[in-house]
Amino acid sequence: MKKRILAAVLATASILGTVAGCDSTNTSSTAPTESKDNNSSTTEESKPEDGGETKEEGKVLNIYAWNEEFKGFFEKYYQGLEWEVELEDGTKEKKKFDKAPGLETLKGVTVNWIINPSDGGVYQQKLDAALQAQSGAAADDKVDFFLAEADYILKYTNSDFTMDVSTIGVTTADTQYNYTVQAASDADGKVKGVSFQCCPSALIYRRSIAKDVLGTDDPAEVQKKLGTWADFDAVAAQAKEKGYYMTASYVETFRTFSNNVSSAWVVNGELNIDKAIEDWTTQAATYLDKEYTLPDGVWGDQKNAQMFAEGKTMCFFGPAWYYNFCMGNAMDKEKGCYGDWAVTTGPQEHFWGGTWILAATGTDNPTIVADIMKAFTVNEDVCSALIENEAQFTNNSKVNEKYATDPKFGNAFLGGQNDVALFVELAKGIKFEHKTNYDQLLSEKYPEYMLDYFQKKITKDEALANFYKFVNDTYADVKTP
Amino acid sequence: MGKKHKSISYAKWGYIFIIPFFVVYAVCTLVPLFSTFLYSFFDYYTTMDFRTIGPNFVGLQNYIDMFTPDRTGAIDLLNYTGNTLLMWVMGAVPQVLFALVLALIFTGIRLRIKGQGFFKTVIYMPNLIMASAFSMLFFTLFSPVGPVNQVLTQITGGDPFLFFSDIWATRSIIAFINFLMWFGNTTILLMAGIMGIDQSLFEASSIDGATSKQTFFKITLPLLIPIIVYVLVTALIGGLQMYDVPQIMTNGKGGVDMTAQTLVMQLNRMIGGVTKNYGKAGALSAYIFIVTGLLSILVFKVTGNSSGKKKAKKGGK
Repeated sequence: MKKRILAAVLATASILGTVAGCDSTNTSSTAPTESKDNNSSTTEESKPEDGGETKEEGKVLNIYAWNEEFKGFFEKYYQGLEWEVELEDGTKEKKKFDKAPGLETLKGVTVNWIINPSDGGVYQQKLDAALQAQSGAAADDKVDFFLAEADYILKYTNSDFTMDVSTIGVTTADTQYNYTVQAASDADGKVKGVSFQCCPSALIYRRSIAKDVLGTDDPAEVQKKLGTWADFDAVAAQAKEKGYYMTASYVETFRTFSNNVSSAWVVNGELNIDKAIEDWTTQAATYLDKEYTLPDGVWGDQKNAQMFAEGKTMCFFGPAWYYNFCMGNAMDKEKGCYGDWAVTTGPQEHFWGGTWILAATGTDNPTIVADIMKAFTVNEDVCSALIENEAQFTNNSKVNEKYATDPKFGNAFLGGQNDVALFVELAKGIKFEHKTNYDQLLSEKYPEYMLDYFQKKITKDEALANFYKFVNDTYADVKTP
Repeated sequence: MGKKHKSISYAKWGYIFIIPFFVVYAVCTLVPLFSTFLYSFFDYYTTMDFRTIGPNFVGLQNYIDMFTPDRTGAIDLLNYTGNTLLMWVMGAVPQVLFALVLALIFTGIRLRIKGQGFFKTVIYMPNLIMASAFSMLFFTLFSPVGPVNQVLTQITGGDPFLFFSDIWATRSIIAFINFLMWFGNTTILLMAGIMGIDQSLFEASSIDGATSKQTFFKITLPLLIPIIVYVLVTALIGGLQMYDVPQIMTNGKGGVDMTAQTLVMQLNRMIGGVTKNYGKAGALSAYIFIVTGLLSILVFKVTGNSSGKKKAKKGGK
């Protein structure tokens, strides 16, 4: 008898064990939460409150993002956490933003960041899974808000997973740049989120190389010599003669062309390669052939190594976030070339990226989400801090213009140039048009597949065929030639 | 009471104990397995605007599409199958040979190597590292600004060699990583196999004056065949599922002109991305299943027959 009981106990234990194992893998794949312990403890605390009559908001704020950029700004200027700055003499100083709105609103709230990289669509994949599980998730596991980029924001604004922010009390301020509102609106014009930055992209050049090649490093003079693509190509040849690269990646100029297309990537369900994309293809083929550039991606190591002082590259393209967030090599204390940079318009106006904060339908923290959206768009203290401390170009034209006209304001990385003044001008020309849900991967993979042709491994037709295969495999509903 | 005692069957408890496994296996493996086959006959996919199309029954259309030549006249599926097998062979042949030599050295009675435990741990070590971490390491090593190119450019004084823009360099690096990761595992298996051989056979052969070459070819190798078959079949199944190393090495692109695209990478493009194509991925899975089955049978037949003969001889002795 004893044996039988023991056997029964063992059997149930093993069943439970396996089933529990099965179960836990399921939940972790659908709703990845990083701090499960926090969740469970806070749910217990908030349970009695839920039963009460006052409408309490959730105690866990779940945020989906694809990198640490916004997290940093959020922690410093909304949450009011301390951070360290390294001073010029090498000592460290602790800083704290006293006017952080979150010091009040986030009391007793756990902030949960779920960060997945965006390469190859990983971020979208994880986010989609979480959003699709949203209605069945416990209040504290629900996504409260998430970040989205220009390349795929449409997919979310046109879905029911995001909500009209006017319902939670966020109205569009006049100080927001029009394209940021356009991008966050659905087909019916309902605004589903806000952006905390405006991303006009500039030509970023090395002052010392510009002096050597063009004889000047003054932004206005450089602009005169690089104002059109024909000029740009001519200067590239001159730079090559002096032993410099014009750009450090064959994809460097892709955004400039792809932002100025006159038709979208997908038209009526069919893949469409715009004239501007064709022009880029021709340019990239020439540049690689003549060694004006390197066969590396926009985020490649070979390109990044060119940002060091010993680098031989004259031009980079990017918005404020690019040189603040992605040009670490140039800022390196020993090998970098801090201050040897400047920005100007370049051959064609364009924008790159930008991060939108979208409110997830079903959030249990609508007041906090609304407060965060307001903090990063209309709160002048926060926006000023973003410009002064982070060299951002904010989505508040009033604050931006204040700094643009301030003669004392300048960015030390750019040798004291007032970059805000340039961006205020560039921001006026940004258009958000010809966008589709498919843009991120198509813009990421088209240059990659064409590289085989640029490097003369295969013909252009074969490279295109490989790109079409990628499209067919990834987007079953898109027809290719 | 007495009657009850008589009918006690301990086998029953055996079955009861394995029920949990079979229940979980059925729910978590068998059902998905059959649904994969089922979906391969349907047009069934998701789109970027969160719609799901299908399932609409289309018969064998997914399979026909799979074998339809593209614009350049090539059948991609065969191309990817070829890539997978080629990179597997490039890694597996040296892997088995190298492991065999190591296993012989470690088990050699005359050599009596000291610190065997240490060496065994070291050669097994690469297997403990995640394949993705390994790939990242090699990706960095062979990058245009990586250490390998720094040494190369110092010697030649020219431009860096772009390993990942070269078909055979990419394939060789992938094969090499697979070799490095798995030769330790194979060595341990082969050592177990060699140690399982009756020592008296070796003694008898040395008394008869057999050279080590003769001992190896007449005793060790024939008796090791079952283990080698096992190693080859498991390596083949693993090799056909080659995914993480080439995926990371080529950043999901499949190398120059898709020459490092493997079958499972292709599967990942259909089912692991922002949209899911259950129908086409189902058909591809079925294809991988059949190819794996056929090749395993082939390996088994080619090598298995000879071991059968030896066994018969041994039995007849």
